[in-house]
Amino acid sequence: MDPNASYKGTSNPLAPPARDLPLSGVRVLDLATVIAGPYAASILGEFGAEVIKVEQPGVGCSLRRFGTPTPVGDTVTWLGESRNKKSITVNLRTDEGQGVLKRLAAEADVVVENFRPGTMERWGLGWDVLHELNPRLVMLRVTGYGQTGPYRQRPGFARVAHAVGGLAYLAGMPRGVPVTPGSTTLGDYMTGLYGCIGILMALRHRDLTGEGQYVDAALYESVFRCTGELAPAYGRYGIVRERKGPNNNENACPNGHFPTQDDRWVAITCPTDKLFSRLAEAMGKPELAADHVFGRAEVRLEHHHDVNEIVRDWCGAHPCQEILDRCHAAGAPAGPLNTIADIFADRQFHARRTMVAVDDDEVGETIIVPNTLPRLSETPGEIRHLGPRLGAHTEQILKDLLGLDDDDIAALREKDAI
Amino acid sequence: MRGVRVLDLGTFIAGPHAASIFAEFGAEVLKIEHPVAGDPLRRFGSATEVPNRTLAFLSEARNRRSVTVDLRQEKGKALFLELVAEADVLIENFRPGRMEEWGLGWDVLREANPGLVFLRVSGYGQTGPYRNWSGFSHIAHAYAGLSYLAGFPGESPVVPGSVPLGDYISSLYGAIGVLLALRHREKTGRGQVVDTAIFESVFRTLDEMAGVYGLFGTIRERQGAGSFVAVPHGHFRTADDHWVAIACTTDRMFQRLARAMGRPELADPEMYGVQANRLAAREAVDHLVVTWVEGHTREEVMALCLEQEVPCGGVNSIADIFEDEHFHARDMLVPVEVPGVGEVVVPGVLPRLSATPGRIETLGPALGDATDEVLRTLLGLEDDDLEALRSQKII
Repeated sequence: MDPNASYKGTSNPLAPPARDLPLSGVRVLDLATVIAGPYAASILGEFGAEVIKVEQPGVGCSLRRFGTPTPVGDTVTWLGESRNKKSITVNLRTDEGQGVLKRLAAEADVVVENFRPGTMERWGLGWDVLHELNPRLVMLRVTGYGQTGPYRQRPGFARVAHAVGGLAYLAGMPRGVPVTPGSTTLGDYMTGLYGCIGILMALRHRDLTGEGQYVDAALYESVFRCTGELAPAYGRYGIVRERKGPNNNENACPNGHFPTQDDRWVAITCPTDKLFSRLAEAMGKPELAADHVFGRAEVRLEHHHDVNEIVRDWCGAHPCQEILDRCHAAGAPAGPLNTIADIFADRQFHARRTMVAVDDDEVGETIIVPNTLPRLSETPGEIRHLGPRLGAHTEQILKDLLGLDDDDIAALREKDAI
Repeated sequence: MRGVRVLDLGTFIAGPHAASIFAEFGAEVLKIEHPVAGDPLRRFGSATEVPNRTLAFLSEARNRRSVTVDLRQEKGKALFLELVAEADVLIENFRPGRMEEWGLGWDVLREANPGLVFLRVSGYGQTGPYRNWSGFSHIAHAYAGLSYLAGFPGESPVVPGSVPLGDYISSLYGAIGVLLALRHREKTGRGQVVDTAIFESVFRTLDEMAGVYGLFGTIRERQGAGSFVAVPHGHFRTADDHWVAIACTTDRMFQRLARAMGRPELADPEMYGVQANRLAAREAVDHLVVTWVEGHTREEVMALCLEQEVPCGGVNSIADIFEDEHFHARDMLVPVEVPGVGEVVVPGVLPRLSATPGRIETLGPALGDATDEVLRTLLGLEDDDLEALRSQKII
């Protein structure tokens, strides 16, 4: 079956950017590469900002090569995540290119970058320079370890951030190999989200006071911020959390993955006693939720092996769909461990249009991409087009925004500045 | 966010974390709770000396005050709507339809306050056939396709590191939605609803998985400690029984690693210098790195890699993190004194803003610590009113 069949013709994301969106009139320069900084800029673009991707002539952003290539050379990741952006090439390693960037920054509201700390400064494009040039400017600086501290010069990727931030240590079988926590790019997206929040708060402050500022986002910190009571529990009680495999019963039981009769997996969790009583009902064993059996969390946590075994036996004796039906009827939290194929067939994803099909004439294919988030009722975001070809808008932007003419542009090309 | 008043009606973390960020940056956040039970997060996680305030609650309910109102009673609803009229943002995460059942749906709230920004967080969103299903982060990880990918091929899919990950991620999307909506409100005076589903928030972070399946029908599978995009890109055990993460995303990074390993010839284009060759010889390449790392301590591996600028880092336990000088230099471990408990160390404030940095003033409040004060100052109630409401168990 053509996995795209049900998505074709369900959307026209190439609609004109007609409505007044929250960020209409905001201009963003995206100098950043894989994926955190660019993702923050993408969200701004979905909600009306004009996002200009500034890329190295010839090679372009490394995101163009991250993941699976398409017929036009750029990868699926690039096409999906560079949505709505315009591409301009500027060689920041030349004097002329630095001059062009300064002129662009003077016309911008936001600059996003993720060079190693000090690199922009070496090019004469540091915060002090840009801030003086444009006091209203907001700058998002994304790095592995932040702009300060002893590790600031270390190279950082999300993989390393998952490790340093304490997340990777917790994924895997007890005493086994720590595994990838599901996705190698999680930390990038999380950092893009914190970065985007920083930009929006800084824009708010700027609109009130006229004063711009920079946001210092570090990949490892975004990951660490999302580890619940990991730090407080160690600080207070010296508890070192370890890998727990498919069942994490530190704070809730059951809370894990269970194989079903038809060889699938379901996730079940009962963070409160009420939810456990619903699960007991779904399993047809309401007596398990009695106070003197497993009705209370502290008893379940102490005897988690027994509780997990009961749930595992029940799941192993029924097909996945029946388990889900019974849990949902009783109001117990359960869900399937979906593959991407399951997701494409799922009614909720369809009903919410969690994915949309976007045509790209040059690629000659319909690309399925995740829809815009967050969902706003009055001013929903939009996908106008997918990631552009390298330098597709160089001339247009230099002419319209900076007032250059053909001769100026030819001269810049001559010097490899664009 | 000074001057912004947020009512946080949420429980646990999905939604409330957005309110925490606003509170860190100056918003006034009032946590609205049931007069008897309060937020179940109060009893979730490691207990402390004070009842109904676990470490999880203390950390995540930072910078708020607690106001108790029973929304199931008519007078409680009326009181709540008066508070809504004085607020800018309302955050909730009940099962979709619950607030409507109470007569507190968007139509009613909007009438009370046309400029209100209403963040609703739920497992499956406010629409669609599964909207009424009970959803938590753990379920959303599975449903959105993340959990399927954690673990070794053919073995049990494991928890992807942290159970509440999706709670935080959905809160971040929610916070962005609120900030966008506030911006729109300043232009137009009109509020709106932000409908955040935990499963969609998790799904949105899975890079090109959907696009690749759509184009090529490729189903991504569990990758163990590795990655589908690059080799070597994983976790490796050191001689002193620690683990390090090494990520050679590009050919240049591999070249540096080969130098760090003292075997620059491995990066020849006809050897493993090209990503395609490494992906094709995944096991052989990983084996070389496994063997090399096994022969050195964590300190040695880190030093050799960093000298060559190879992206690498320790796979840190929380004990490692507490000893790490960089975490301390960046104030990521913030000790906060809690009366009756002592010092509690919590993660620092994100995002980091240069001119208007956020701050942590207090940790999770006692239930109803600000009920009287807020109802007096904000709604002008008097001692008699408060007493009457209390005797009817409305506050």
